[in-house]
Amino acid sequence: MLKTLARFAPRSPWIYRLNAGSCNGCDVEMATTALIPRYDVERLGCKYCGSPRHADIVLISGPLTLRVRDKVLRVFDEIPNPKVTVGVGVCPVSGGVFRDSYTVDQPQESYIALDVIVPGCPPRPQAIIEGVAKALEVWKERLEVA
Amino acid sequence: MLPFLKIMVKNLLAGPSTDPFPFAPAHTPKRFRGRACHDKEKCILCGICRHVCAAGAIQLRVTEDGMAVHWVLWHNSCVFCGLCAHHCPTKALTMSDDWHMTHRGEERFDQREVSFVPYGQCSQCGARIHPRPESVVQQLGSRYPERFMMCPVCKRQELARRVTPAKPSITTGESDERDSA
Repeated sequence: MLKTLARFAPRSPWIYRLNAGSCNGCDVEMATTALIPRYDVERLGCKYCGSPRHADIVLISGPLTLRVRDKVLRVFDEIPNPKVTVGVGVCPVSGGVFRDSYTVDQPQESYIALDVIVPGCPPRPQAIIEGVAKALEVWKERLEVA
Repeated sequence: MLPFLKIMVKNLLAGPSTDPFPFAPAHTPKRFRGRACHDKEKCILCGICRHVCAAGAIQLRVTEDGMAVHWVLWHNSCVFCGLCAHHCPTKALTMSDDWHMTHRGEERFDQREVSFVPYGQCSQCGARIHPRPESVVQQLGSRYPERFMMCPVCKRQELARRVTPAKPSITTGESDERDSA
């Protein structure tokens, strides 16, 4: 009963932004995606939330610098399962222009597995919306399994 | 009186300003820099693209037999700066306006642009030279087409043969002395 209900009435995921030492380019685009009426991400039922404990979808930007690594991992562990991780920009995947830097702990993959990747430096708001839409699919799959 | 009414009616008539992207195609500016495209028919393997790539996304891997090169660009490392397309001498690299690159995490290493570019052969000695694609030959090699297809050594010999006069048939006494000494 609950499973059929979950299939027909998908819940609205809440999005949490996690800055893993990004240059703020992707963060600006993410804020744009949420705040400006032109790229309204809330049409997909998503909402940005301030607390990691409320989140379902995590948008990670930045190449996980050494300085924030432990803090980011602590916050990431606070997000309840099932969560979907979206890497925004090329930094979380490959390090982008910060690759091989002595302040960057590469690859970020060894700490945080990414479910959806939105390449770009930074990706345009529509691309982030596309990534969130893909994350919604992953999230529904996870909910059915759980 | 009530000036906002005018604005309200105007906005109502103008319709929503939200970009209908996930449900309808989004507007993309003409000069938007998205995914890079490589045309192997124009590539001369000069390696400038790899040299200028800010993010180190481009690799040139020579095959095991040494007769060709795998040209690889990993989109997950590319930062779309467009330097490679700007510096490409034959315009083999271009930036498309395609930004639909979102993918699942499992497919991250499939996001590549791979071209198989074979080396050229010297028309005289058959040595390995950089490729001379048809478009480049038409552009640069139309004046001396046979010389354009040579390796540097053969080209130098060919030029020397043209420039130097024919050998004198009678040897001078000077050179004989040097030989005997």
